[in-house]
Amino acid sequence: MRLASGLARALTIGVAAAVVVLALDSLVSAVMAQNPFGAPRPSAEPQVGGIVGWLLSKQSEFYREMSSTIRAAKSDGSAVWTLLVISFAYGIFHAAGPGHGKAVISSYLVANQETARRGIVLSFASALMQSLVAVGIVGICALLLNATARTMCGAEKVIEIVSYALIAAFGARLVWTKGGGFIRALQAQQPVPAIVGAAHHHHGHGHDHGHHHDHHAQDHVHDEHCGHSHGPVPSELAGPGGWRRGFGTIFAVGLRPCSGAILVLVFALAQGMFWAGITATLVMGLGTAITVATIAVLAVSAKDLARRLSGASEGGGALIMRGLEFGAAGLVLLFGVGLLFGYIAAERVTCL
Amino acid sequence: MNIAMRRLLGLLLLAGSCALGAGAAQAHPHVWITATSEVIYAPDGSITGVRHAWTFDDMFSTYALQGIETKTKGVYSREELSPLAQTNVESLKEFGFFTFAKADGRKEKFQEPVDYFLEYKDAALTLHFTLPLTAPVKPKQLALEVFDPSYFIDFQLDDKNPIKLVGAPAACQLKIQRPNDGSANAQKLSEQNFMSGDNSNYGAMFANKITVDCP
Repeated sequence: MRLASGLARALTIGVAAAVVVLALDSLVSAVMAQNPFGAPRPSAEPQVGGIVGWLLSKQSEFYREMSSTIRAAKSDGSAVWTLLVISFAYGIFHAAGPGHGKAVISSYLVANQETARRGIVLSFASALMQSLVAVGIVGICALLLNATARTMCGAEKVIEIVSYALIAAFGARLVWTKGGGFIRALQAQQPVPAIVGAAHHHHGHGHDHGHHHDHHAQDHVHDEHCGHSHGPVPSELAGPGGWRRGFGTIFAVGLRPCSGAILVLVFALAQGMFWAGITATLVMGLGTAITVATIAVLAVSAKDLARRLSGASEGGGALIMRGLEFGAAGLVLLFGVGLLFGYIAAERVTCL
Repeated sequence: MNIAMRRLLGLLLLAGSCALGAGAAQAHPHVWITATSEVIYAPDGSITGVRHAWTFDDMFSTYALQGIETKTKGVYSREELSPLAQTNVESLKEFGFFTFAKADGRKEKFQEPVDYFLEYKDAALTLHFTLPLTAPVKPKQLALEVFDPSYFIDFQLDDKNPIKLVGAPAACQLKIQRPNDGSANAQKLSEQNFMSGDNSNYGAMFANKITVDCP
C-alpha cells in the first residue's frame, strides 16, 4: 500500500518537475524574443533549433564583438562601456547554455540540503574565482613571464584536469556521505535490523556512529579534512560556520578558467588595454554568476517542492528525499569523472 | 519496493545522462577560421592530398602571437613564425587536422603534414599546410569535410573560390555545401537531440562539405 502511494508521489513529483521545466523553457524563449540587448534576433539559424541554438548564436555574436570593441576602446573611451555591456551579456548567455559549472553547483546544493541563499553566494564566489584565475594566468604567464600561447594553454590544461579531478573527488565524497543516508532510509523502509552505520567506515578510520534515526542522516556532513562534523539541522544551515563547507565546490568549479576569458585578456594585453580586459573578465563573471545563481535557486526550490510533496508520510517521503540527494551526489561524481576522462569532450581546452 | 527503487534509479540515471549530454552541447566557438583548400591530383588523375590555408580570426591570431619575439615589433617573418607553425601542426594532429576524407564512401587517412608555414598579414595569421593521403586514391567520388566536432573552432569556407582542384581531370565536378546555406538540413539537430545527449558529433552540423565527382 505504502509502495503504491510512494510511487504515485514520485510520479507526481516527476510530472511537476517536467511542467516546471517546460514552462521555464517557453517563458525564457518568449522573454528572449523581446531583444533584451537591442540586437536583432538572428533570422537564419536553421540547424540548431529553439533556445539552445539561439543561445549559441547569441554568445558567439557577443564574443566576436569583443575584439573590435577592445580595439575601438584604445582611441574611444566610450567603447569601454560597450565592452562592459557585451561582456556582461556574454557572461549571462555563456552560463545559460548547458555547462558543467552550474550543474555541479546545483547538484551539490540539492545533495547537501543547502539553502537558496547559500546557492547564490556559492555561484557568485565560484564565478569570481573563475575570473580571478583567468586574470592570474594571463597576468603571470603573459604579462610577467612573456610566455607563449603554447605555455599558457598548457597551464590551462593542467589546471583544467586538476579542477575536474577535484570535482570527481568531491562527488565521490558526497556519494559516500549521501549513500549512508540513502541506505539507512532504505533500511527504515524494511523492518529488518540491518548493519546500521556500515557506510560510515570512512577512509578506514572505522568510526561507527550508528545513527539509527534516518532523519539525522541528512545532516551528516564531512568537512574538508575528513573529520566528522555533525551537521546542523536545516534551519541552522545558513549560519556562519557552515560556509566553509561550500568552499570545496567553489574551489573545484572556479579553478577552471573560461578559455574565452583567457583569449580576451591576452588580446587586451596585446592592445595595451590589459585593464579593460580585466574589467571585461570580471563583468563577464558577474553575468555568469547571475545565471548560475538563478539556476541554483531553481534547483533548491525544486527540491523544496519535492520535499513538501513527499513530506506527508515519514517512510516513503524520507526515502525519496534521501534518494534524491544520493542521486544528486552521484551526478557530481558523474560530472567529475566524465569531464576528467573526456566523455564530455566539448569542455576540453583546445590548444593549437 | 524493488520496482519503486528501480524506477527511481532509472529516473536518476536518465537525469544524469541528460545532464551529461547537455554538458557536451555547451561548446560555442572560441576560434574562427576562414579556410581555402586545394585538392591535389597526380598526373594520372589520382588524388594525392589536400592543401589548406587557414586564416585565424583577429583575437586568436593575437593570442597565438603572444610571447613571440621578433626583430621588428608587429612584423612577423615566416622564419620567426616557424616554431609556432610547428606547434600548430603538431597540435592539429590530435584532432585529425579537422579534415575528414572519404573516397567512394571509404575513410581515408592522412600522413604527417608537409610544407607548413605561417603568414602574418592584416593582423591575421594564416596557416598553410599540406596533408598527403597515406596512399593516393582515384575514386568516383571524393567527400571532404572540414569541421571541429567539438565546435571549439568555427570553420568557414572563404567567400570566393574556397576550393580548387589542382591538376584534376577535366570531367571532375566540384560541389560545395556550406553549413549555413540551409542545405545542411539533413544534419538538423533538434532540441530533443540536445537533451537526450545525442550530440557526440555536435560540430558536424557546422561542417563544410566538399564533394568531387569524377565519372
